[in-house]
Amino acid sequence: MNAVLRHNVQSAGSGERPMVFAHGFGCDQSMWRHVAPHFESAFKVITFDHIGAGGSDASAYDAAKYETLNGYATDIVEIGDELSIHDGIFVGHSVSAMIGALAHVARPEMFSKLIMVGPSPRYIDDTDYEGGFTADDIKDLLASFKENPLAWSASMAPMIVGNPDKPEHGQELADSICKIDPVIANGFARATFTSDNRKDLPKITAKTLILQCRDDIIASEHVGAYVRDKIPGSELVLLEATGHCPNLTAPAEVVSAIRKFV
Amino acid sequence: MSNTARLPADTASAPAPYGLLIVDHRGVVVSANDRLCHWLGRDASKLLEKPLVTMFTKASRIVFETSIVPLLSLNRQIDGVSLDLRNADDDKLPVLFSAELSGSGENQTTSFVFLLADARRAYERDLSTARTEAEDRLTASLHEAELREQFIAILGHDLRNPLASIGAAMNILAREPLSDNSKRIVGLTNGSVKRMSLLIDNVLDFARNRLGSGMHLTLSAGTDLEREIEQVVDELRSAGANRDICLDTANCDSVICDASKVGQLLSNLLGNAVTYGDPTRSIHVRTRKRGDGSFELTVKNYGPPIPAQAIARLFDPFVRSTSQGDQIGLGLGLHIASEIAKAHGGSLDVQSDENFTCFTLLIPQQPTEA
Repeated sequence: MNAVLRHNVQSAGSGERPMVFAHGFGCDQSMWRHVAPHFESAFKVITFDHIGAGGSDASAYDAAKYETLNGYATDIVEIGDELSIHDGIFVGHSVSAMIGALAHVARPEMFSKLIMVGPSPRYIDDTDYEGGFTADDIKDLLASFKENPLAWSASMAPMIVGNPDKPEHGQELADSICKIDPVIANGFARATFTSDNRKDLPKITAKTLILQCRDDIIASEHVGAYVRDKIPGSELVLLEATGHCPNLTAPAEVVSAIRKFV
Repeated sequence: MSNTARLPADTASAPAPYGLLIVDHRGVVVSANDRLCHWLGRDASKLLEKPLVTMFTKASRIVFETSIVPLLSLNRQIDGVSLDLRNADDDKLPVLFSAELSGSGENQTTSFVFLLADARRAYERDLSTARTEAEDRLTASLHEAELREQFIAILGHDLRNPLASIGAAMNILAREPLSDNSKRIVGLTNGSVKRMSLLIDNVLDFARNRLGSGMHLTLSAGTDLEREIEQVVDELRSAGANRDICLDTANCDSVICDASKVGQLLSNLLGNAVTYGDPTRSIHVRTRKRGDGSFELTVKNYGPPIPAQAIARLFDPFVRSTSQGDQIGLGLGLHIASEIAKAHGGSLDVQSDENFTCFTLLIPQQPTEA
């Protein structure tokens, strides 16, 4: 199965220039539902699901490959190659901002503009760096999935919690959004929250926009500022939106900021 | 913020087995009932104007922000989320909650209902642990099964060498001048060697089949088959304690098959017939070609009929008659015979009644090349 099928890649729009929207940890491509369609008149809009999310092929999951974010970045490069993306725009939410950065560092010609929504190069505090979480917090997070196996129950794919023989199942499947495979989500959590990509930031040559929310407990304002300081020539826009998902809670503001940049 | 977004005073203070909470469009708490405040060990005044997300443990905050907020936003409601609140003493409070959005824009509010879920959480954890253990045990037993089958295969190979030596020794002895008694012993020993060799072949074929490499055939269409059949019958005659075996071979030439495997099949069928057939009557082995060119081999004995319920499982491995006292082998003979037939694209069937028991091998033949 090729990467386009494996990742449930959807493309829409009448433009030439490819614009890839990548969802973050905990949801799927429906995350971009209120934002991506606004760019269809000017761009070729591409959305996809990371392995284990939405309509991706969960059987392609390989714990070793996805141990770090590089595995996810490899997928982006593969999708980009299959779609012959050159000089494209990459919009990454949350951890996908860093995944996009890694894909860009690997293949600089693929994306010439990066838009990072709520990025963080490292979630765990370090000397002279405040990621927002202690190593113990993340240890607790990863342990909590054992302690609370149904933590992802609200996002579990119906095929896991439901009965495929029941007729209402099909409907449920079609309607379900933000589906994630709980086992893969735990692996993705580990790869995400133990990542440290601070050294990759200065290698970014694409023109970069950082969209930062207020009161974001996942990626705080000073993490956003750190990212801006480390990526040469990057620009940071502080949104009025609060929380970690402005693409859902304040889509108009996100659309407008992206539009100004592209 | 409209007043309707807040809990009415009597609702907030009414005795309730559930926690109620309302947040505004920013996710900031605007109202909470007494029970929830009690669970959290905080005054309502300490909860109000704080983001709801800060009332969860850090691990739950991450799930809440990355998965629950998007789901709520996209679905406008969510049911039965399993996360942990954190009380004033920093203790974990496992809860289940459901939530629903109303209004839009700055007037959007979200109502939450919380239930304590301590016991349920413990049960889920146990279920999850039990599943992990069951999966581990399954993996371990699959691995053991594979090792066991490999062991059988290696054992089979190792048994062949000493057996071949015994066979060779008997052949040398047979050429020496021997007493009649010694000749008889050499004959019996040779019979035992042949039978043992057949058992090893069966075990090896069984292990190979189970290990997934399947049965390998060496197909030829010469005159090997007739020779093979005669040889197998001779061996059984000499080992079978004076049992009369009538052989009627016709049209055995140019049958496309693996002659030695068909010989193994026949040997298994004859072993079966010797054990279960009427010792006072002959066993009949007959070959012929059917009208459609397919090759047929039948082995017929006059023994008691095989019970109908036994016929259904007759070709399964490790099936042995329960009605007979003396047994030979592992119960692999008929299974392997049937597998040999299948490997040839053919079939092995049995017909058994008061009169006789007859096994029929049928091997279809490809149209011969022009």
